[in-house]
Amino acid sequence: MREDYQAFIGLEVHIHLLTATKAFCSCRSAFGDEPNSNVCPVCMGYPGAMPALNAEALRIGAVVARALHCELSAETRFERKQYFYPDMPKNYQISQFASPLGVGGWVDVPAPGGGDARGAPAAIRRIRIKECHLEEDAGKMIHSGDVTLVDYNRAGAPLLEIVTEPDFETGAEAEAYLQQLRRTVRYLGACDGNMEEGSMRCDANVSVNRRGAGLGRKVEIKNLNSSRFVRLGLDYEIARQVELVEGGGTVRQETRLWNENRDRTEVMRVKEDSHDYRFFPEPDLPAVGLDAAFLAEVEAALVEPPFDRERRLEADYGLDRERASSICEERAFADYYEAAVAEARRLGVGDGPAAERTAAWMAGDLRRALRAAGLGAAEVGSLGMPAERLAAVVALVDSGRISATVARKVFDAALGEGAEPADLVRERGWELVSDPAAIAAAADAALAAEGAALAEAAAALAAGDEGRVRRLSGYLVGKAIAASGGTADPSAVKAAVEARLAAASKAL
Amino acid sequence: MTRTVCKDGFSAYLRAWEARIGSFLEIDEEAVSKAARSHGSAGASGGGPLAGLPFGVKDNVAVAGMRLSCGSRMLDGFVSPYSATAVARLVAAGAAPVGKTNMDEFGMGSSTDTSAYGRTNNPWDVSRVAGGSSGGSAAAVAAGLVPFALGSDTGGSVRQPASFCGVVGLKPTNGAVSRFGLVAYASSLETIGVLADSAARARAVFEAMRGADPLDQTSRDRPDGVPGARAGTGERAGARIIGVLSPEAAARALAGSPGDGASGDGTPLLEPEVAAAFEEAKERMRSLGYRLEELELPSLAYASAAYYTIALAEASANLARFDGVRYGRRPAGAPNPEALVEGARAAGFGDEVRLRILLGTFALRAGFQDRYYLRAQRARAGIRRDFERALAGRDAVLMPVYPTRAFGRGAEAPSPFAQKAADLFTCCANLAGLPALAFPTGVSGGLPVGVQLVGAAFGEDALLDAAEEYGEAYPTGRPDGYEEYWT
Repeated sequence: MREDYQAFIGLEVHIHLLTATKAFCSCRSAFGDEPNSNVCPVCMGYPGAMPALNAEALRIGAVVARALHCELSAETRFERKQYFYPDMPKNYQISQFASPLGVGGWVDVPAPGGGDARGAPAAIRRIRIKECHLEEDAGKMIHSGDVTLVDYNRAGAPLLEIVTEPDFETGAEAEAYLQQLRRTVRYLGACDGNMEEGSMRCDANVSVNRRGAGLGRKVEIKNLNSSRFVRLGLDYEIARQVELVEGGGTVRQETRLWNENRDRTEVMRVKEDSHDYRFFPEPDLPAVGLDAAFLAEVEAALVEPPFDRERRLEADYGLDRERASSICEERAFADYYEAAVAEARRLGVGDGPAAERTAAWMAGDLRRALRAAGLGAAEVGSLGMPAERLAAVVALVDSGRISATVARKVFDAALGEGAEPADLVRERGWELVSDPAAIAAAADAALAAEGAALAEAAAALAAGDEGRVRRLSGYLVGKAIAASGGTADPSAVKAAVEARLAAASKAL
Repeated sequence: MTRTVCKDGFSAYLRAWEARIGSFLEIDEEAVSKAARSHGSAGASGGGPLAGLPFGVKDNVAVAGMRLSCGSRMLDGFVSPYSATAVARLVAAGAAPVGKTNMDEFGMGSSTDTSAYGRTNNPWDVSRVAGGSSGGSAAAVAAGLVPFALGSDTGGSVRQPASFCGVVGLKPTNGAVSRFGLVAYASSLETIGVLADSAARARAVFEAMRGADPLDQTSRDRPDGVPGARAGTGERAGARIIGVLSPEAAARALAGSPGDGASGDGTPLLEPEVAAAFEEAKERMRSLGYRLEELELPSLAYASAAYYTIALAEASANLARFDGVRYGRRPAGAPNPEALVEGARAAGFGDEVRLRILLGTFALRAGFQDRYYLRAQRARAGIRRDFERALAGRDAVLMPVYPTRAFGRGAEAPSPFAQKAADLFTCCANLAGLPALAFPTGVSGGLPVGVQLVGAAFGEDALLDAAEEYGEAYPTGRPDGYEEYWT
């Protein structure tokens, strides 16, 4: 964007709270069931039915609000937001307006492009959270030919709407926030964060103005169904508005939709068509006072936020940003890492190597194993490779008892057979061998089988071709280690091979 | 007055009355006749005061398997899949719902004439209305077709028809009876209420229904230590002091108030028969040993205006769900959802309902809430404070129920505006959330007259005590043709 312009972006994110039942009735709150199978008089808006607040929705909503550093209202109320739509059973939505569950929070997000992935700490941007309020979801319309069907399974499912102040300037910042928020609610077990299935939805409002001139005229963008679309949609919209203003035009206050097929925003409705929601207090629900016991329960459910944890892992474990971020993608994965490092240290591995090697294993073999098993990082607990076993492998390598080559075999066997690494090494004779006789036997066997390579290496050595010697010598060492079944101590094998090579060269 | 007991002829009795008054929209004739036959016979006793009793249910209260039309074409043919908590509790106490009673469409009226399913006539004079909106329930109890019936009271809809028909009408404290299953008109004002042939019966019904219900989180148990809460002890040890809002004090409050057409033009607030009955009731209360103290309720001036503003605002939201999409009548086909909803509502709602939805929508527009809805809420708070003051140290406030006895139709009927203004004596208890009891005190010119007592929150017992005492000392009559089946 041009330097003389400034964009102001605010996001409204709706998250589906992971409660067993809906917000105001006891119907199952689930995605993907047979249409209209989870409905009752309350969530269908039958005459005479009344809402009853699900305490679990209130609790989870409060946990998210607190995790975003919002202050919880001592007494929170519900309002009716009125507009007619066929997927909304009562033609009003129970929401919150005057006294939202949480207000005035903030969240730190890594500023995109800031910092160096390999070392320097990320630049941080603090986003202010205006409010978090509870509300109910609507049903879903399915258009088929000239018929419209409605599925009310989702109607009445609990949503928390998280509203930011207009604190973002670019699409990339908004995308980073959304990814961060997704990670946070998953950490809290409050929402599965699945944008494709609609359990996390994002609307944005954006305005531009000459730098220093304050907010411009706001345009709302809907249908931003992935964090990538949030970035693309906002960047498109900012460019559109700047161009409009530059050309002497004015931005119209309107609602636009992101068209993912044409990579652009398109007008949905202009201000004149906008709803007057006629908010008024919901007379069917009493005000909810949040007492000390409730607040204590909420505080107890808070966990270290992912970005805080990422920064702590960088500081405490000496990880680079990319690796810390990867480990902190899921709470279970980060828990696994910290447990494995602690265990490796307990087994005598030094602090630095324990942190570094555990991270390397998790980025490599553990990720590979998860992919092979069709599991995500969050499901690392179901892999069959407890953190203690990974730590045992790390310790075995660190202590010199097994080689790096064998370590991978130990890992695979521990995973495949559910066995303890130390037992595997002992039972299968995988320990490194440094007995001179055994080393000599392995070296002799390899050289005998590789006569041509030996002759070539000896000639190169005589000719002083160091590069060639190094390559061929390495090849022969590998063969010798293989001849030992991978257990021969590489440095001893190397010494034995080099000695035999020197002798062969002299004999030329 | 006829008081013959004719156990075998109940079906004929029921049919004869219904042909004249039309109180029920649906009735299980066999069930109610069977209950009439077995009532009082040996073997039917035991199981509490409600065991074996049939009751009518206003057609805006859900009974599983019965119609739930609210007197509206919109819900023509709709059968409720569930029962209201109040109904379920009465069933658990041994009573049986036997039919649905006529009402003003969605409770919007004072005559039951806005029903889409025909009129209900007053058992005392079939040329007159039974009152409303719970007119069917009041008429059915007055004619002795059922010993009690459920109604709903948003601004007087139980008490006014009770007064018109000469039966007891109890509007409980807001929250004392679960609203789950009551089709909402104005949620913050209304309660399910009781129309009964005696104060004792009303008490038994209320006792069975009341108490917190998890399906209605605004419902509550009666707090401990409420004065007058001594049901079943037979002890009557209240302060025995009753405040009186005299018609003169009411007129003083209304003087100069804008919009309340019930005063300011020199017309007396009450018709002479009602005024005389009120004076008589005062005398009799004194003779029963109550000390009466005149009081003022200055905020009464704003009651009707505040009441209608709040009620219609809430109604505009509550009735939004009737769109023909999920249930109820709707056009056979429509080019788009908007047309479907417009078609369903245009065909389904009567004029009074449309008027009230429009006014309520108007009052809630963005930028106008302060002028209408919030101002009405401030007036409501003033009325609540006035009653708190009035009830301090007193058992109840004695007030008229309605300015007139049952009115006629056509030219005889007050204008729609006058009918709304006339709610001022009843609607203030709804605004204040307090219990109120209307009970008959006599018959004047062939029509019943009565008064009401307004009590402190959860003080229903104090009101019922006084009415029971009054009824024992000064029994009132029944309409011609009434037969006693439910002693």
